Amino acid sequence: MTKNRHYPTYFLFGTLLLYVVLYLLPGILGIGYSFTDWTAYSDQVHFLGYDHMFDNYVKAFSDAKYFGYLGNTLLFTFVTTIVKNGVGLALAVLLTKQVKLLNFHRAVLYIPAVLSALIVGMIFKSILNPAQGLLNSTLKIFGIKGLKWLTDPKIAFWSVMGVDIWKGMGYIMTIFIAGILSISPTYYEAAQIDGASGWQQFRAITLPMLAPTMTVTTVLNVIYGLRVFDMVYALTNGGPGFATEVLYTGIYKEFGFGRYAMGTTLSSIMFVFMALIGFFLIRAMNRNEVEE
Amino acid sequence: MKKTLALLLTVLMLLPLAACAQPAPAAEEAPAAAATQAPAATEAPAKQDITLTFMASQDWVQDAELALAEKFTQETGIKVDYQIVPSDQYPNLLQTKLNSGECTDIFCSQAGRFDIVTTLNVAKNAVDLSAESWVSTMEATAAAEVTADGKVYGQPMQDTSAVWAIAYNKKIFTDLGLAIPKNWAEFTAVCDAVLASGVTPIYEPVSDGWHQVLWFAELGAAYDKAEPGLVDALNTNTKKFVDSAIMKTAIDQIKEMADKGYWGDNYMADVYADQAAKMASGEYAMSLANQGLPQQVADLNAGLTADDIGFFVMPIADNQMLNVNPVGPTRFVYSGSKNIDAAKQYLAFLAQPENLQYMVDNVPKFQNLPFSGITPKYAGTVKEFYDMYAEKGTVLQTSVKYVNPQWMEIGKEIVSVIQGTEDDVTMLGNIDKNRADQATAAQDAAW
Repeated sequence: MTKNRHYPTYFLFGTLLLYVVLYLLPGILGIGYSFTDWTAYSDQVHFLGYDHMFDNYVKAFSDAKYFGYLGNTLLFTFVTTIVKNGVGLALAVLLTKQVKLLNFHRAVLYIPAVLSALIVGMIFKSILNPAQGLLNSTLKIFGIKGLKWLTDPKIAFWSVMGVDIWKGMGYIMTIFIAGILSISPTYYEAAQIDGASGWQQFRAITLPMLAPTMTVTTVLNVIYGLRVFDMVYALTNGGPGFATEVLYTGIYKEFGFGRYAMGTTLSSIMFVFMALIGFFLIRAMNRNEVEE
Repeated sequence: MKKTLALLLTVLMLLPLAACAQPAPAAEEAPAAAATQAPAATEAPAKQDITLTFMASQDWVQDAELALAEKFTQETGIKVDYQIVPSDQYPNLLQTKLNSGECTDIFCSQAGRFDIVTTLNVAKNAVDLSAESWVSTMEATAAAEVTADGKVYGQPMQDTSAVWAIAYNKKIFTDLGLAIPKNWAEFTAVCDAVLASGVTPIYEPVSDGWHQVLWFAELGAAYDKAEPGLVDALNTNTKKFVDSAIMKTAIDQIKEMADKGYWGDNYMADVYADQAAKMASGEYAMSLANQGLPQQVADLNAGLTADDIGFFVMPIADNQMLNVNPVGPTRFVYSGSKNIDAAKQYLAFLAQPENLQYMVDNVPKFQNLPFSGITPKYAGTVKEFYDMYAEKGTVLQTSVKYVNPQWMEIGKEIVSVIQGTEDDVTMLGNIDKNRADQATAAQDAAW
């Protein structure tokens, strides 16, 4: 309501319109379609009726198959978030020290993040081939019998997570490097004068000062983990059997089978789920920051 | 004034959106071919500046077809852009493209009188090709599987006379004193003997996702023989897969092969593209293949001739019937294509007798194509195999509705059974569930 604001309100309209048309409307329509019987086999789309409007949701939650997908998605999110944050932070701390060829090391670690997940998937599919793959062939030279990385159901999902961590940690590292570089060196100088050890400096200065950065990386990782699709698709396509199936490969398959209503139902569940997790995560982490 | 400016800006910002909705004419992308400058023969038709997009699963498009595509481009100026998709991803991708209305000018899919209606919805997604001149040269059995409501929609692209059977290395069998097994017990005895000799009995490429399903689905006629009326009962939904004891037996025997090491140690990562090379290397004694394999093997190993590879039917569930399937990968013209006439022209070109003959002569795994006017090249060993079995029957994926569309899904179910994360009853139950889902969506009165 102040007179001296910089821009008039209607400057917002263009952006708002684009946002509504491109994001909000398809999202709401998607949720709407989850209450219908929409499939590829019929031109007609019918509302399921008030008595049966949640049928698709009931089916989604009563089918053990989808629970398996959900479990895998959560496991993937949990593991990759923790490891990417941990390794990313460790690398960031290392690569903000006086290291030879500093930018070269940073670049090498960041490069996988630029590559397409599909290409990384294809390359690792070949590297992890149990018979002719580079990894097992190398292990063989040292007399070690390699594992069936992508074809043993007990290991496959961990291999997928491993490849994803390899690809994603450079990106997280870069964010942490930016965070660390923004911490004023005076804190460290003061701590050194007081005789603080490296670990003490890390625990008492770096870590607390990085809390806002940590919020960002965690939210990014969690949202990415919940939405993971391309890496699983390229490496295992949900196999062996259904061992590495995640929610988004499941949704993709529903659309592939022409079961649009079920696909939109699963997408809607994911949307609510991610909105809730994102909301509480940011709130919880912001509260911690204030307390500190 | 300010408001008008803002409105104008908004309209400008929205313009690109409208532009997105305008499909770019495909012709624009095709560079003006130098061919237009070529000294045209007087009778040559005017060359067209069109690029046809063509989508197929891995292994469906042969080098000989690519050579024909080049010849077609030289004759007409129309280019064909082949997009080959890994086979484990193809069915989903094709359905997604068809369902989103963004398919290529020509797409390939497995045909079948039920599936082209229920899965491909050809009446909506494909162009009626009934009026094309090559339609009358198609074999009746093959034509029936690409026809819906009396209209022909597809053009078969592979040899449908071929049968998926167990190809075996005759030299290994002779050295070990083995005879062709006639039932499951004899088959396991043969596999045990081969295994004991240090050779892996069977090359089974599970990695592609589709090959292992053949062991189960190709035996439709054997199931129907063991449980008379089964196929009809499945189509009228009066019986379910899970009710069939013979199918459970088949699944259990497939698992037994993997468990006993008949498929070797690396079957989960083995690929179909290596099949001929693996058989030629002598590391494996058998593989489930069609009748093109012997020639491919002979081409790779000078020490073997095509007649050194013989065939026998899969003795799973004691089957002794020849499993025939007049259906195979098929070309369709997409109804939403901007280049329907050019696509039809390309299919007509491929169906010219000299081009069909070129395919038969140059693709080792093709013995014949389902069109008249071709000289087939059946090898002695293949004739011998076809004559060995008096009884013939159609495979499950063609005789029973809603099986073929979930082929890749069945592949995953089989892997789950083999790896012990699922049992035979759960697997067959899941197939029933998927069939019911599809039948309900297709508003099939029997469900």
